[in-house]
Amino acid sequence: MTRMPVVEQNGMGDAAMARARRTEDIVVGDEIVRERLSARVVHWSVALTFFICLFTGLPIWTPYLGFLAGLFGGLHVCRVLHPWAGVAFAVASTLMFVQWASQMLLTPADREFITPRGMLKYFQYRNEDADVGKYNGGQKMLFWAAGLGALGLLLSGIVIWLPQENFGQWLRQASYILHDTAFSLFFAMIIGHIYLGTAAEPGTFRSIVRGTVTKSWARLHHPAWYREVTGEQPRS
Amino acid sequence: MNLDALEVRQSSASAWGSKTELRNLKVVSKLIDTSTCIGCKACEVACQEWNDLHIVPTTQTGTYQTMPSLDANYWNLIQFREREIGPDFAWLLRKDGCMHCGDPGCLKACPAPGAIVQYQNGIVDVNPDNCIGCKMCETGCPFDIPRYSEQTGKMSKCTLCVDRGQVGLEPACVKSCPTGCLEFGDKTDLAARANERVEQLKQNGFPQAALYDPPGVGGTTVITVLAHGDHPEWYGLPKDPHVPDGVRFWKNIVRPLGALAIAGAFFSMVGHYLSFGPKKPKEGAETPKGDGQR
Repeated sequence: MTRMPVVEQNGMGDAAMARARRTEDIVVGDEIVRERLSARVVHWSVALTFFICLFTGLPIWTPYLGFLAGLFGGLHVCRVLHPWAGVAFAVASTLMFVQWASQMLLTPADREFITPRGMLKYFQYRNEDADVGKYNGGQKMLFWAAGLGALGLLLSGIVIWLPQENFGQWLRQASYILHDTAFSLFFAMIIGHIYLGTAAEPGTFRSIVRGTVTKSWARLHHPAWYREVTGEQPRS
Repeated sequence: MNLDALEVRQSSASAWGSKTELRNLKVVSKLIDTSTCIGCKACEVACQEWNDLHIVPTTQTGTYQTMPSLDANYWNLIQFREREIGPDFAWLLRKDGCMHCGDPGCLKACPAPGAIVQYQNGIVDVNPDNCIGCKMCETGCPFDIPRYSEQTGKMSKCTLCVDRGQVGLEPACVKSCPTGCLEFGDKTDLAARANERVEQLKQNGFPQAALYDPPGVGGTTVITVLAHGDHPEWYGLPKDPHVPDGVRFWKNIVRPLGALAIAGAFFSMVGHYLSFGPKKPKEGAETPKGDGQR
């Protein structure tokens, strides 16, 4: 990292840098602040509660993953933790939803992005022409799907959790089916999310850890956002 | 009748499923002849005493029935039903409790390894040490039998007095029955006796009498003689019970497809990385000084 010399060049000390990071979509030295601290904290609250739900739920989901129960002290502990972790996940997801919903509305460019053709171009790294804003169409769809999935998991989870006399047989059965389906799709989606945010796109993971990205990363992945934030043309 | 060793035929959430049949052991049965039940509830008391169950407050529902339905601390309940059948009035009594299905829905739904087991002798038992109290068995059961206990945080139901059977005793309810309407023994023998009773009933004005041993759940260990065998629902028994469709769909279809989706996502991402690698700026693209990728 060659950040420090550039900060000095711009006459910004560490304190000024820290202040700048509390907001987002601004240039600090040769970096752009992409996610403010609160956004990152909310994202990681969702991730942490999701993983607790995942690892307490997987040994209940299938005995083949029963060994995971040992991480928490056994299947009994998982059964006690899982619903409460689910409540925490629902709360964190709600915060995330409120925080990002207004930024996740689909633009015409996003609609083009999420067509099968657009997605294929994206995965084949042939989408230089796509005018991607701060979040691409795929990220936006992930956001809405995560919200919907969390809602489905919460509602079906409540039916599974509370005393069974409160609900009819068909509703209980439907809840098990919904909880399983929502979980499977959610987890499959999160696998893609983690891959794209780390291995597939170097320079992305730091945006949700330190909050900043490099200008060249922004030019490559989010050219329209780069133009907005810097006032420069992403491709010259 | 001694139950010999309690070899397991099926266990919940276990990969080895039903592959433990080393030898053919006796399959037991409890016969309930509803036509000779007098509703004395001796079986209810005997069950409470033998199994050391807590006292449950009774509920007056306008009949002689002790409470509306089974409880975590009440595994054996005589149900009293009144019905006008043509010009006649019938008082239908039935002993409600676990049927010990051949294909137990509770066991199918249970996610905790070894929490619900079916012995070779046909008895479906709960192992409280392994039960995690998730209540999924309640949804799996077509007879609405398992009950979650707030006291223990676990499920409970009739064990067919498996502890008595091991030392050659019949279940407590059978022991206490004064009319002989309850019998315990080898299933083949008891089915024959039950069919004799059905014949007797048929000759005595109940041509529709039948033995309730529903094939939809693989037959039941607890078999019931019904005078109105064409209408088991009059006694509160489902006409054609089977493991609920939703539970079978969930376990047999949704779950493997879900696993496939997860594995599919994982391996497509691995495949994508191997084919395309990380996405980087094109070679020769302008990179300002100090603007390195991390």
